Amino acid sequence: MFLKEIVESHKYLLFAGKGGLGKTTLSATTARYLASRGKKVIVFSTDPQASLTDVFERDLFGKGEVELAGNLYALEIDADRVVSEYQADVRKKILDMYGSVPEEIEDYIKSASAQPAMSESATFDSMIELIMAGRYDYYIFDMMPHGHAIRFLSMASLLDTWINKVVDIRKDSQEVDERVRRMSGKKTHGTEETGILGELQDIKNRLDFMAKIIGGGDTTALFYVVIPEQMAIMDTETAIAEFKKFGIELSGIIVNQVYPRELLSDPDVPEFLKSRIRMQQSNMEIIHRKFADKIVAEVRMMDREPKGFAMLEKTANMVYG
Amino acid sequence: MDSHKDGKKGLASIKSAIRDFVYGMAAHDMVTYSLRTRMHMENLFMLIVMGDMLGIPVLPPYYSLRLLPHVVPHVKTWKRTLLRDRDVTDRMFGG
Repeated sequence: MFLKEIVESHKYLLFAGKGGLGKTTLSATTARYLASRGKKVIVFSTDPQASLTDVFERDLFGKGEVELAGNLYALEIDADRVVSEYQADVRKKILDMYGSVPEEIEDYIKSASAQPAMSESATFDSMIELIMAGRYDYYIFDMMPHGHAIRFLSMASLLDTWINKVVDIRKDSQEVDERVRRMSGKKTHGTEETGILGELQDIKNRLDFMAKIIGGGDTTALFYVVIPEQMAIMDTETAIAEFKKFGIELSGIIVNQVYPRELLSDPDVPEFLKSRIRMQQSNMEIIHRKFADKIVAEVRMMDREPKGFAMLEKTANMVYG
Repeated sequence: MDSHKDGKKGLASIKSAIRDFVYGMAAHDMVTYSLRTRMHMENLFMLIVMGDMLGIPVLPPYYSLRLLPHVVPHVKTWKRTLLRDRDVTDRMFGG
């Protein structure tokens, strides 16, 4: 299958890979292509060092869902702001319920919010929120670099196991409460049950929903971007194995930034560049040997940085024809 | 009339005494045991979702915060219970 067919037949498209290989450009290019076919598309960056703003040449950071052109939207979240808004929500809820926020609870809110996992979770939750709202025909995710992406995508299934255990404990507690009430007519003084179970159920529903989307081969396609260089090839091999461990199957590999081979026969091309092209050619052989059945596209190196709508249009024509 | 009322009252108190007696004989231990189990479950739950408060990081703080408003009144008791708990070695060596 080619990239175009896979892209058109999957609602959720994820672009992953090492940093700096062109994930953002390919995400933006794909979004541009689908939007030009009349589909309502959003491209979302999960990378804390997001560069959609640079690619689209428009300030998107922390601005919510921004319409860039007809049918084409982009979202670059400010995870720190999401975390502080979330903190404020929790504080307000406690204030509404008890009239004040005890000091140790306030300390806990502050320390929990300072953990690095917090912004990752906030981004993940924003991703779930966006998909659950269901306002778009296509969702394109520009993922963070490899290791983080694997942890990020496996978060749904890991957290789901955790939540299931917590829900089980609460249900067991509820049974004990009932037993005590029947035998003695007394009420136990545990935490308030309905609220907790409601929250847990809601978290569980969201995670289940996301786990289904991530693991759903019919609706979700995960692409890995590689360039013809040794380190990127090694990284791709590791990523394929690790994604597999979490039951996530790669839909295809995109080889990006490939120098045109014909430059080798051009007498005006300097030897320095030719040597680089030869290196790429030998790495291309390795790529074909290792991932032959997974390669869905080879994208040429552009003569300048693919930024702005005109350039994205050009890239879209090159990639999707 | 009054003696009739007194008689009813007396009967009720005998009934209640019998009920308490039967409860004491048959169910009290079970109820105490269940309450203890319930307390341990509560502690386990709190440890899993709020472990960070005692310096035991248990994933993930984002979701702990969502549950936090519901457990606010129990945090103090829970921390006290858990920090008071002693293990076998404490008992052996008088810790």
